[in-house]
Amino acid sequence: MSSPSNLTGSKNYFEDFEVGMVIRHSRGKTVTNLENVLITNLVMNSADGHFNKDKMSRSSFGKILSYGGVNFSLVLGLASQDCCENALMELGLDNIRLTKPVHHGDTLYAYSEVLEKSDSDRADAGIIVYRHFGVNQEQQVVAQVDRKVLLKKRPAA
Amino acid sequence: MAAEFIEKAVLWPKGNLYEDFHVGQKFEHHWGRTIFESDNALFSTLTLSFVPLYFNRTYAKSHGHPDVVLNPQLLFNVTLGLSVEDCSEIGGPFLGVYNLVYHKPAYPGVTLTASSTTVDMRVSGSNPEMGIVTWETEGRDEDGDLLVSFRRSNLVRRRGEGK
Repeated sequence: MSSPSNLTGSKNYFEDFEVGMVIRHSRGKTVTNLENVLITNLVMNSADGHFNKDKMSRSSFGKILSYGGVNFSLVLGLASQDCCENALMELGLDNIRLTKPVHHGDTLYAYSEVLEKSDSDRADAGIIVYRHFGVNQEQQVVAQVDRKVLLKKRPAA
Repeated sequence: MAAEFIEKAVLWPKGNLYEDFHVGQKFEHHWGRTIFESDNALFSTLTLSFVPLYFNRTYAKSHGHPDVVLNPQLLFNVTLGLSVEDCSEIGGPFLGVYNLVYHKPAYPGVTLTASSTTVDMRVSGSNPEMGIVTWETEGRDEDGDLLVSFRRSNLVRRRGEGK
């Protein structure tokens, strides 16, 4: 078996992040039934505004609203490879704000700012707090979330 | 002309409105859910959560875990999902989540149950037809150990006078 460190990137360890850095993540993802309806149902969210097209056609939105939990989970996902691929544990989230409705067909992109960097109780890892932003195809911010992660330090060569 | 059964049917409604809440109220939410390995793989891949702990068992074991680690965002979303009928199914949009803590790693096969306490209520300043309700919600495993906890606020519709 190859070393675990060969399976993940080499430029995203604890040492590679500095407070104030802002990262634009390279991939976007379009929200469809697969993201919104599948995940909303998978996690037992029973609010049918996220999966009843008929009802929502008669609402002021006019169409299905993508569930906020899906929207910010997708933003966290889009940022995960760069920010958390070498994580030992995700410790928590804070300041989650959903600032714009998201509908099927909207495309989300992610940006991350490094808010804090500190030591942990492990010598081989430190703690980073990121602020992730989710932006739609019109560059409007749709979601914001802070994530605290225990991130590995670069293994000795 | 609607079929007779449609005219005869009585709606069994779901969900709560602003007046149904009071500070200190506790909810033990319905159902619970066992989280399967397939849920975790589907959730992690669909959200592009490219953290190998969540989908590579060998990698997870080499980091001291007995199995793949459940994506914590899945734990959070199931906990919130189980709370929806009691807290927010018909009320209005979800405004924010704060102080979310992942207390310990969880693994496939865990059975999650959710509970909430209503901790704050106020009428919206900008729209008096709506209120803002805040709950502290917890997700626990089958041994009662805390896995995830958070505070969330929702806009919740008020019943209004004479309605």
